[in-house]
Amino acid sequence: MNNFPILTALVLVPAAGALVVALMSKRHPDIVKLAGVGFSVVTGALSIWVLGKFHTGGDGSFQLVSQHSWIKQWGIGWHLGIDGISLFLVVLTGILFPIALLGSDSHHDIKPYTAWILLLEAGVMGSFLSLDLFLFFVFFEIVLVPMYFLIGGWGYDKRVYAALKFFIYTMLGSAFMLVGILTTVFLAKAQLGHITFDLVELQKASFAVSTGRWLFLAFAIAFAVKVPIFPFHTWLPDAHTQAPTAGSVLLAGVMLKLGTYGLLRFSFGLFPEATRYFRPLFLTLGVIGILYGAIVATMQKDLKRVVAYSSVAHMGFIVLGAFAFTGQAVSGSVLQMINHGVSTGALFLLVGMISERRHTREISQLKGLQSVAPIFAGVFTLVMLSSIGVPGLNGFVGEFMILIGTFLTARWWTVVAAAGVILAALYLLWAYQRVFHGQPDEANKTFSELKLKEALVLAPLLGIIVFTGVYPKPMLDRIQPAVNKLVQHVDYPQPQSPIAAAEGGQ
Amino acid sequence: MLSTLLASDVVAPFSSPKIDYHALAPELVLAGVIVAVLLADLFLEESKKWVLSTIAGFGLLAAFIPIVTLAVSGHRARSMFGGAYVVDTYSLLVKGIFLLAGYVVVLLSQNYLEEGDYYQGEYYFLLLSSILGMVMMGSSRDLVTIFVSLEFLSIPAYMLAAWRKRDLKSNEAGTKYYLLGVFASAVMLYGMSLLYGDTGTTILKGIGAKLQNGSMSPVAVLGIVFVIIGFAFKVSAVPFHNWAPDTYQGAPTPITAFLSVASKAAGFVALINLIYVAFPHGGDVFQPMIGVMAASTMTLGNVMALRQTNIVRMLAYSSISQGGFILMPLAVAGGKSSGNALTAIVTYLAVYAATNLGLFAVIIAVSRKTRSGEVSSWGGLFSYAPLLGVLATAFLASLAGIPPLGGWVAKFGAFRAVITSGTNWGYALAIVGAVNSVIAFGYYGSLMREIWMKPVPDGDTAPIRTPSSLNAALMICGGATLALGVVPGIILRFSDIIKL
Amino acid sequence: MSQLLRSYLTVAMFGAIGVLLAALLLAISALVRPNRPNADKSKVYESGVDPIGDGWSQSQIRYYVFALLFVIFDVETVFIFPWATQLERYAGFGLLEMGIFVFVLLLGLVYAWRKGVLRWV
Repeated sequence: MNNFPILTALVLVPAAGALVVALMSKRHPDIVKLAGVGFSVVTGALSIWVLGKFHTGGDGSFQLVSQHSWIKQWGIGWHLGIDGISLFLVVLTGILFPIALLGSDSHHDIKPYTAWILLLEAGVMGSFLSLDLFLFFVFFEIVLVPMYFLIGGWGYDKRVYAALKFFIYTMLGSAFMLVGILTTVFLAKAQLGHITFDLVELQKASFAVSTGRWLFLAFAIAFAVKVPIFPFHTWLPDAHTQAPTAGSVLLAGVMLKLGTYGLLRFSFGLFPEATRYFRPLFLTLGVIGILYGAIVATMQKDLKRVVAYSSVAHMGFIVLGAFAFTGQAVSGSVLQMINHGVSTGALFLLVGMISERRHTREISQLKGLQSVAPIFAGVFTLVMLSSIGVPGLNGFVGEFMILIGTFLTARWWTVVAAAGVILAALYLLWAYQRVFHGQPDEANKTFSELKLKEALVLAPLLGIIVFTGVYPKPMLDRIQPAVNKLVQHVDYPQPQSPIAAAEGGQ
Repeated sequence: MLSTLLASDVVAPFSSPKIDYHALAPELVLAGVIVAVLLADLFLEESKKWVLSTIAGFGLLAAFIPIVTLAVSGHRARSMFGGAYVVDTYSLLVKGIFLLAGYVVVLLSQNYLEEGDYYQGEYYFLLLSSILGMVMMGSSRDLVTIFVSLEFLSIPAYMLAAWRKRDLKSNEAGTKYYLLGVFASAVMLYGMSLLYGDTGTTILKGIGAKLQNGSMSPVAVLGIVFVIIGFAFKVSAVPFHNWAPDTYQGAPTPITAFLSVASKAAGFVALINLIYVAFPHGGDVFQPMIGVMAASTMTLGNVMALRQTNIVRMLAYSSISQGGFILMPLAVAGGKSSGNALTAIVTYLAVYAATNLGLFAVIIAVSRKTRSGEVSSWGGLFSYAPLLGVLATAFLASLAGIPPLGGWVAKFGAFRAVITSGTNWGYALAIVGAVNSVIAFGYYGSLMREIWMKPVPDGDTAPIRTPSSLNAALMICGGATLALGVVPGIILRFSDIIKL
Repeated sequence: MSQLLRSYLTVAMFGAIGVLLAALLLAISALVRPNRPNADKSKVYESGVDPIGDGWSQSQIRYYVFALLFVIFDVETVFIFPWATQLERYAGFGLLEMGIFVFVLLLGLVYAWRKGVLRWV
């Protein structure tokens, strides 16, 4: 089985699932749902298998590579590969999709709903695995379409507006990226002697300073919209709030990661000089995102919007860590991508459950849930603490690594960003207090306890939250080689501080 | 000139031109089918008129056979009539596109005509004549041949646009199309006469040899500008686009599909012939002009499309803006990315033909039930006609350039062409194109929104019954749109090797 | 760039001259001609006879058909006469070509016949 093209299967299984579901009869919603869950579980199992086959250590190069020619005339190939940066994102995708399918209800038209989600999974998997610029672009675009329909078709009141806003923002970004990709490729052609979209090959080319900076911006806009980096974030609260629960979970859990992943993989990989040049800008935007997201989250009246703005803040941390250019901070960023996916995904699921029960997400309408549903409140507390970054849970590890690593190269930014940690505690605890504490009024008295099925859906996420918080080493071991390689590639002068030396010696 | 002609007593011995019948076979087959349709119409009873569409359809497929045999018989260009008529890989490719597009239009027309009680014989006769003109355009390498082909394809189209003769809008469509069409022909003819006056030949190759950059006479410049303006009308490029929305809206829907795909493609083929063979060194003259036209065509087409509430009218503006994308590579023709530009245009034409015809097939199918052309009549289409809903979404997504549907291959090629030119013009055009592909989603998306997210108007969820010919058209277009996007090699292996 | 602009200068000048020329001619004639309007002058011209009724009168559709039929035969002769004088020169090839030409025109006649256009009533 060594030659089994497992990465290709990761993309094709959900795609085939989407097709199969689309062709099924809509008269049997149960069978449709079963098929959808089945395909996503198989994909999840494949991703776990990839985790097992992944070779720890090494020089951080791509593994399990699968390479075929697709459009020979244009040098476009089917080139998939995985390294420490994408490994856990793939696993996260594999785990989160079945959970999202099981943990939420479409309410109507389950067949297209399931098919769109499976297509989304294929697109996300493809984006994380592609090592060919064009292939990446194709998958990056494919991701938009199912999300557009999921928000627009199964969302809340203002769904159509939110869907269109989401699409136009991200599409604008990718239009610039397309021009950027093509220009990169054709400029590289002069140096490489042949036309190719292969990332590994293109990294060998170097660009004139000003050209590189323009190209970096063309890519960065697409990714910045996706992350979203302040000031491109305005689509996110609308999309999150209006999307159905599964949509929010997947949007926060995996799709936002496409942005930060793209920055690390493509912007850093192709234009190291420009990345260094724009570093202060992105550090600043990251910090603004942290503070802005936190402050705005505090003032929200809608529970889902609180979580949505907390995403803006968390993604700010990830951007900050990525642009610190130290091994620690970038590893922390990669880890934090996973953490954010897990905890925010779980938070959205929980908020979805609340809104299923109460048909409202207004904080002022909810009160005293703790006394009627203690287990539910306990689970919510755990997830919330993970999101705040309390030691012992996963969020702490990531944020701590980011702050430590960033402190070495970008001291003042770190100092300001640290305030964001405190604000996170503020807005989440305050929201928790208003929703769960106190005496339940008439409407909240009937709030039902966490059901077994819901608990089972949440269990894997809770497991990851605790496991990563207590014992992150297996993950970091797999992440670090690839990150070190990337940091070397960016070639930013590394600090010679005692902490870094001690870390390096481990 | 005249005096020498009259005075010449000594007549040179006449030798009949050598005709390569194999190379002319597609045209000859088509001509035979045209005669067959006309005669069959005259001697058939009213109840048996349905045979006509069958003859027309099979005739178009029959004409496709020699295209295949010519393609497999080698890549040698077959030149006839002193270079006025050339059959090479490029012309075979565009002829193939015309014939297949024509076949789909016949499929679209079948039930539309039978149920609308329109004259069938004349309809297919004129349709085939127009297609024959297009097929000839693919091979025309001479000013006179180009003009004859152009009139051959246009005049039947004028009549077809006015085919719903009891409908005022259709009359308006035909009249507008006719008046602006002949006006464009006049301008073009004037330009051609200037070109002939300056170079002394009508053969494109000869003109190309005479016209060199930098040393071009003012007369030649005028000629080039006028000829291009003439064809700009044909491809409805801004600012010569005014006829298109009214004509598209008023004409019978299958003819709208035909005009927006085949007729437009023929205009582009003519432009390619002229620019690549006759003005390869005239880049200084035509590049800025076409560049500005391309940018304004996509922008204006998109902006106007955003405001439309009638589907056909929206698609008319959409097709104007798509025309801008096809013009985009032409704006860098003659430079170092000439070859890329040619590949890009031909690929775009093929993809656009498949996608747009498919979308019109959906429109015809849906309006069989709703009897309306308003965007809102598509509300909730997916819920009662899932297959049509999915197909319509696929065609719209392809037009918007979303992979893995054909549209992206086309857009990709166009962007590649302008970017490889390496000029600032090229980059600027690429940016304009990129922004426009986003704007375009505004209206393609609004149609998708109707299909998936809006309620069904009047709650009428009776399923749509589509006749088999329409189903066939939908399947052909849907399959082609998907196949071209997933395996672009099938068109690229042809469009990449063509050269002029 | 200047070369580029120069090529378009030609077009601009040409356009300007065209407009100017037309404007000039109209202007001169407007200046020179006497202007004495009267009712008779604005009447529809009908070969000197006083017009009866509206200018938009309908004409018999049959004349239109006649004109079309005339075109069929007229075009035929226009091409056949010169061909006939050179018949020997063009020999078999010419005969074939003319045969096709006449055949196509005959198709038109057959069409007219089957559609009942040839009957007057």
